[in-house]
Formats: sequence, structure tokens, C-alpha cells
Amino acid sequence: MNPLKLSVLFLSILGSTLLSCNDDDAPAAENEEEVIDNVILTFTPATAGSPVIISAIDPDGEGASDFIIQQIYLASNTVYTLNVEFRNNALGEDITTEVAEEGTEHIIYFGFTSNLFSDPAGDGNIGSTNRNDAVNYTDEDENGIEIGLSSVWITGDPASGEFRLLLKHQPGIKSEVSSSTDGETDIDLIWNIVIN
Amino acid sequence: MKLFFLTLFLLTFYHISESQQRNCASSCSCTISGKIVDAKTNEALEFVSLQIKGTSKGTSTDVNGYFEFKDICEIEVDLLISRIGYKSITHHHDIFHNGLIVKLAPDNLILESIVVEEEAEVGGFKSNPAATINNKDLAQLKSESLGNVLSSITGVSTLSTGSNVAKPIIHGLHSNRILIINNGIRHESQDWGLEHAPEIDASLINNIEIIKGASAVKYGPNALGGVILISPPEMELTSHLHGDVNLKGESNGRAIDGNILLQKGYKTIAWMAQVATRYQGDLKAPDYNLTNTGMREYSGAAGLRFHKKSWDVKSSFSYLTQELGILRGSITGNIEDLADAIGDDVPDFTDDFSYQINSPKQQVDHTLVKTEVLYNFPTSRLGVIYGLQMNNRKEFDVRRGSNSETPSINLELTTHTVDVEWLHPVINDWEGTIGGQWLYQDNNNIPGTNTIPFVPNYNNTRFGMFITETRFLSSNTQFDVGLRYDIQFASFRGRDSQNNVFRNHQRFNSVSGIVGLTRTLPDGGSFRLNISTAWRPPNIAELYSFGKHQFTNEYGFYRYYFDNEVLRTDRVLEENEITIENELGYKLIGSYTYSNDRFQLDASPYLNIIKNYIYKAAGGISETVRGTLPLFIYKQTDALFTGLDLTFSYFHSTRFNSKVSSTFIYTKDIGNDDVLINIPTNRLSYELIYNTKVGEYEWSASFDVNYIFKQYNAPRVIDPEVFVDNPDFNPFIEDDSNFDFIPAPQGYTLLNFSSSLSMRQWVFSVRVKNALNTNYRPYTNLLRYFADEQGINFELGIQLKL
Repeated sequence: MNPLKLSVLFLSILGSTLLSCNDDDAPAAENEEEVIDNVILTFTPATAGSPVIISAIDPDGEGASDFIIQQIYLASNTVYTLNVEFRNNALGEDITTEVAEEGTEHIIYFGFTSNLFSDPAGDGNIGSTNRNDAVNYTDEDENGIEIGLSSVWITGDPASGEFRLLLKHQPGIKSEVSSSTDGETDIDLIWNIVIN
Repeated sequence: MKLFFLTLFLLTFYHISESQQRNCASSCSCTISGKIVDAKTNEALEFVSLQIKGTSKGTSTDVNGYFEFKDICEIEVDLLISRIGYKSITHHHDIFHNGLIVKLAPDNLILESIVVEEEAEVGGFKSNPAATINNKDLAQLKSESLGNVLSSITGVSTLSTGSNVAKPIIHGLHSNRILIINNGIRHESQDWGLEHAPEIDASLINNIEIIKGASAVKYGPNALGGVILISPPEMELTSHLHGDVNLKGESNGRAIDGNILLQKGYKTIAWMAQVATRYQGDLKAPDYNLTNTGMREYSGAAGLRFHKKSWDVKSSFSYLTQELGILRGSITGNIEDLADAIGDDVPDFTDDFSYQINSPKQQVDHTLVKTEVLYNFPTSRLGVIYGLQMNNRKEFDVRRGSNSETPSINLELTTHTVDVEWLHPVINDWEGTIGGQWLYQDNNNIPGTNTIPFVPNYNNTRFGMFITETRFLSSNTQFDVGLRYDIQFASFRGRDSQNNVFRNHQRFNSVSGIVGLTRTLPDGGSFRLNISTAWRPPNIAELYSFGKHQFTNEYGFYRYYFDNEVLRTDRVLEENEITIENELGYKLIGSYTYSNDRFQLDASPYLNIIKNYIYKAAGGISETVRGTLPLFIYKQTDALFTGLDLTFSYFHSTRFNSKVSSTFIYTKDIGNDDVLINIPTNRLSYELIYNTKVGEYEWSASFDVNYIFKQYNAPRVIDPEVFVDNPDFNPFIEDDSNFDFIPAPQGYTLLNFSSSLSMRQWVFSVRVKNALNTNYRPYTNLLRYFADEQGINFELGIQLKL
């Protein structure tokens, strides 16, 4: 048999052997642990009354649809405690505990329209020079630095505006003076807010 | 003058000898001829004695260095070549490689004697312009990444992600549009990624040839921009144990680089073995550290060759593992992070120097096993090459919690290839090759990433057949022609964002061709022209990518659709819902070369039109959990690439020579009347080289100054602050052309020095890169938003030739 025919034969044998171990598997299902697809703000009034629960939902993970954000309605001249929760609804997981456990790497900055709140006054602590502007944090991490998962807000007279939450991941660089321009942004959402 | 005669001699001699040679053994009429020169001065050597081993046949060179053996009965012989005062060499010669040039090295020099065989084919076609990096130039660059080594050639640039990750760009094309052939095997990897550099260690390379014409006919799909042929050291028979040891230290990155090569040849067997390593810490830009840009690299290779009568069998194994740090300050969550990073004088997370490599980083392994069998018939030659490659790529992002040590991407790609080539007998003065290729590859996501796979699993099977032919039309004109057909079957399995499985099958096929002409001009210059077509199927990322990629969201062809002009990404499209065309390239490239005693000129103009060019286009914006992100979708258009590579060398004296080189490139998205992104800029360089020899010492020194122009053909700029200040801002409402967040960087000047001293077996070298400590950012560095490139770097190297 001449070498050319021999090679063709060799190739077909090789080819069919290798093709027969064809792999038809799909990749394993993975828990998409990085995605935060639900942010829940719970404003609890200090006096009687039911808590105001506001949700922001991502309908499609990294798809093209916009985040669905509800409007916040709060009573005027009332003291509220705000608790923030982060969830991965697709997996039914609460991410908030992870953020709390890694408190030394996370911090939430707040931004809001001036005069919405009598306390804190001003417009929040977002911005490279605004770290220590007024925001009433009530939690802290292992190093005694605020995290922002709980905070206190006293609404003023009726008004409307915007309320912004910015969660930053600052591993190794979070400090008393690290600002909202340091580190990576994990969450940046803006709600329309009405005080009435 | 000498070069002119040499070229003329080779071309005419080749023409006459080739057609007669192949039938000569049976009638004892084979001839062997060539020229012998001094390896250092290139002057003809008279009185060199040559003997055919195992016979009493001998001859010697004449006053012009020429020799000839007549009436030989074998098509393969061993030639013993020697002359007093020079290093002897034994060369195994067969009639398929005629036109020998033997460069004998004087005894007291570090150079080795070598034989250069005039190949009729330059990577398949003489009409295809090519450039080579070898010997001294390569030795100096070996410690760098392959991408950086290649960029020393005009027309070649790099697409980088910081200094550790660099992939080559030939004539404006990169990734899936250029092919790398490593040791005869196509390098198969996740090359769809802009941040994925080829997993080849430059320290193990002996020779690089860059073919700038579209070279689809011989090599298959993906060769739209060109082909890079990488060769390890040749395994020569009958050679004593030799090799070299290299050690190098670099100040920038406080790096140590080393490699060892050993090889030996016996009568029928030869072997070689190499190991190489690199240990590097954080690099430094002129004004600050580039934190987390360390690197580790370990590689090794071994080869065995067996030769007996008409058989030649070569087997090799090579392995490379790398850990590449990516600048820590380059991670952004959203547009505002990007705006902050652009505004920073010093990148976020900049810290003191460290050797430690944390996330973000890449870990890649690549294994190559190859066996090549060549059989010489009386008038033809058959070759079969089998290759097996295993490529594993892990990419680590900065992640929350327990996932900080888990890769976000973990892909394993296994590829089998078989190439058969038959160099057929000369028929009517036509010489050529008929060949076939088979490829099978399997790509799998390794579970455990805790994130939905970025690209699906897939299998690819490809068959290709080609024919290439060459013929002399006259004594000074050579004609090339070639034709090829490829067909590829692919099957994809992936998971969508709800973790549901999707499946798809695709078939791609195409014809490619080439026609070319080479002409030697009476004054000694030569002119080449060729027109070739090339193609490639869309790659896995272009078809299926989904979601966040740095500071944008991007969607592949099968992951998006428009519903009343609204972009939707909620399902995976079925195979018959859209048609994606193959990219088809048509490249016209010419080259003019002229050389004489005083100077040498190389000019290569080209024009490349790519139909169905795949690119990322504006698709809209969306409000995500991290704020506003621009959306990009994959689309097709027609693109134009044109340019000119120019090199001019002038020999002032035997000691001094100058070299001027320039690269010019212009591109356009002709389908949309828009610009293309990531196109390298124009460059101009001047180099002055000095060589001298004093007794046993050889000293050389050079400096080169390079000016890299700004990219004048860059997209419009939209400052990210515009997105930040106005969350509803949609950049595509009035103008859907491409945009960038920062203007193209300014042009810059780089100055480098190098010097080496050779003494017997030792070579000491010094190199200073970026001697002016220039702050610069190349346009094709994907991290140019975040940090400058490396500042000044002092390198000290020692080489010992064994």
C-alpha cells in the first residue's frame, strides 16, 4: 500500500477513535454568588407605625433590562432607623451577612437632596472630600469604623428629592478617611423619595 | 555587489537544479553545491575542504567560496566541512534543500558554524513578505514576553493589558485574526480574549518568522493578518554536547530570568532539552509602583530526533506555566469608578514593592506534545505531524468573601491536530505541496467558579485541504498559486443567566486562495506582490458572551435581539434565528527589497479589506445594581486596513551602521463610516549600532530612539463625568458611533541602550530600556485609563556557551 493511502487510512482511524470520545456535556450549573439582585431598605419609625420597606430589583442579572426601583415615601418630622439588606434572590441567599462579616472591607456612603432630613443635615458623604460630612451611622466594623448597614434618619418638613446608596469594596484601604472614590463600587442605586 | 551575485546565483542555480535533482539518484547524477563564507565577515572562504562521509568523495571551495559535488548516487549525504582556523561542521544534506550557504565560524569566536539552506518557500510562498528575528536580536529580547519580542519588527505591535500580558498585532489585526504556529503546530488557546496573551515562552525559541501576507492557504482559518512561525532549536545529528546557560537580572520588577539549553547529536539520533524560569515582582512606572504586576513563569521542553535513510522522526514535548499579576488599580465596578480612576494621579491600591501576586491575576498552563514523521521518496516527500495541546486558563477577579481565592474563569481546552503534507515530484517545472489538516478540540468549563460560565463548552472538528504550487516563469520571475478548502463543525453547550442549559450547532466553511509573483530585478533588488484571501469563523466570545466586562456590559450574537428597537437579552437565540457570516479578508501586499554594499532597503505596502468584520458596537445603556453601564453588542461591518512598513539600513563603515524604520497604518470601518478601535499608532525609529573586535574580545553597542505617534484616528470622547452627573444620559441617542472615555494618549519618545561584550564562551550584556524614564501610555494598552507604562529598566545578562 503506498504511503499516501496508508496515511489516509491512519488518519481516518485516528479521526474516528478520537471523535468517538465526543463530549456532549453542558457546563455544571454554578451558583451565581457575586450578583446582588435585590436591595431592600427598611425604614422603621421610632414611634408607632409600620416599617416602610422599599425594594430595588434586578430582573435579569447582567442582562440589558434596567433595575426596577420603587419610590420611597416617608412621614415628615419622624425618626427612622434604616436597615439595609442585600440579597441574591436567584439563589435565595442573604448577602448582608457576608458584607457584615467582611465589615473591614465594606462601607456604605449615602447621598440625598438637601433639606430632606433635619438630621443628618446637608447632602450626604459622597464625594472625594466629603467622607466626614453628616451621616448617622449606628454600626461599626472590627476596627471601630462605620459600615452603614444600619443608620438613623430624622425627616424634616415635606419635600421630595433623591436618595442614593453607594456600597464600596475597599479591601486593605478602608479607613477613617477613605472616601467614596476609593475602591470598587458594588452597589450604586438612586431612589426617588417623597417626604409627606 | 556580493549580495547581488549571491542572490542571482542562488535563484538561477535553484531553478536549474530543482527540476533535475529529484530524479538523479537512480542515474548517479545528483549534484550538491553551495557557497562557504566566513561567519563573521561574510567573505568567501577559499580552500575549505568538504568530504562526503563514508566515501572518498571530496572537494574544496574556489576563490569565490563555491563548491560542487557531481555524480552523487544518494539523495541524502553527510557533508564534513572543515578549514584550519575555523570550527568544523558536519551537515546532513538532502536534495530537497539546495542552495547551501555555509557560514564557518573562526575558532576563537563565540559563534558557531552554521548552514543556511535556501528554502524555496517562505512559509509556503516566496511572494509572501516575511521578517525574521533570530540569533543576536532574539537573544537580547528573549526574557521578554512573546508579544514584546515580536513588536521589534515593523508592522507588528502589541495589544497589552499592562506589561505582563501582551499579544501581537500584525498590520492592525490581532487575537483570532493572526495565527501562531509553534514548532509546526497551530497554537490553540482562548485567544478570543483581548487580555489573553499566547502561552509561549520566548526563552525557548530559536527562530521567529513573521509572514505578513494573509496566509490562509497553507495554514487554515484565522490567518487574516498574518502568521507567526516559531521554531525551537534544530536538533542536528553528529554534534557534540553543546548549549547555553543564560542568566539575567532586571531592575524594574526586580526580576530574575534564566534558561538552560543542552543538545547533542549522534549518527542517527539527536536530542535537546531546555528549562527556563522568570521571577518578577511589581513593576514601576516613573512616578509610582504598579501594584500587583508581578509574574512567575516556568517552562521546559525536550525533543528527540531519529534519522535513518529516508526516515526522519521528531518528537517534542513542551510545558509552560505562568502566573500573571494584573494592576490592582485597574478594577472598576462602574462608570463613576472609571471617572475616579481617570482622575487619580496615582492608581488606587498603590502600595510598596512586593513580589506577591494577588487578584486580579491569570494562571495559565500550556502543554504541547508533537510527533513529526517525514519520509523521503526518490522524488517527493511525505510528512505527517500529530499534535496534542492542553491549555488551562484560570482568571481571578477581586471577589467578595469566600470566593476571593476562587477563579471566575476556569477553562480547559484540549486540541488534537494531524497535518499531512506531500511535497510532490516536480511536474513540468511545477513544484508544490498537497496537504490536509484535521483538528479536533474540546473546550470545557471546570466547575466550582461560583459564577455562570462566561463562554459555553464546545467541540470543534475541522477538515482542511490545500494545494500550493510554484513555478519559475523566467529566470528571474517566480509565480505562486494556492487554493484551500476548510469546513468546521462546532457544537456549543452553555448556561444562561437562569442556569438553564442551551445547545447549538454550527457549520462554517470557506475557500481561500493566493496568487503571487516574485521578481528579481537586474540591479539586484527584488520585488514581490501577492493577493490572498483568508477567513475565520466567529469565535466563542463573539457568539455567546454575556454580561459585565470591565466597565461595560457586552452581548454576543446569540445573546441579544431587538424588539421594536429595544435591546433585549432575556434569552439565547436558536441557531436558525440569525445568520452570522464568516469574516473574509482580501489582502494585497507588495514588497520591494534592495541591498548593496552600502545600504539595504525594505518597503512593504499593503491593503486589506475584511468583509463581515466582527466588532463591538454601541447598543444602549442600562441601569444596573452598580449604576449606569453602557451596553455593547457584537455586529458585523466591512473594514479597511492599509499601511506601509519601511526599513532602511546604512553601513557607514565596517564598524558603524544605522537603521531607520517606520510603520504607518490607516484603518476605517467602511460599513459604518466610523473608526475602528485598538488600532496601533504610527511609529518611527532610528538605531545606531557599533561593532568592534579586539583580539579575543568582541564588543558591540547600540542605541535606538523611537517616536510613537498619537492615534489620530480615534473615536469621539465622552467624559465619564457626563454619565455620573446625568444618570439618564444616553450617548447613542443622536450618534451611534463608537466612543471612548478618554482621548488617545499623546505621542512619546523612548530611548534604549544596549551593549554586549563577547569573550570566548562568555557574553556579558547590559541593556537600558526607557532610558529617559518617559511617562507614557500606549494607545493599545487596555489599562491606559489607569496607569503609565514601566519606567526605566536596567538589565544585566550573562551567557555561557557550552
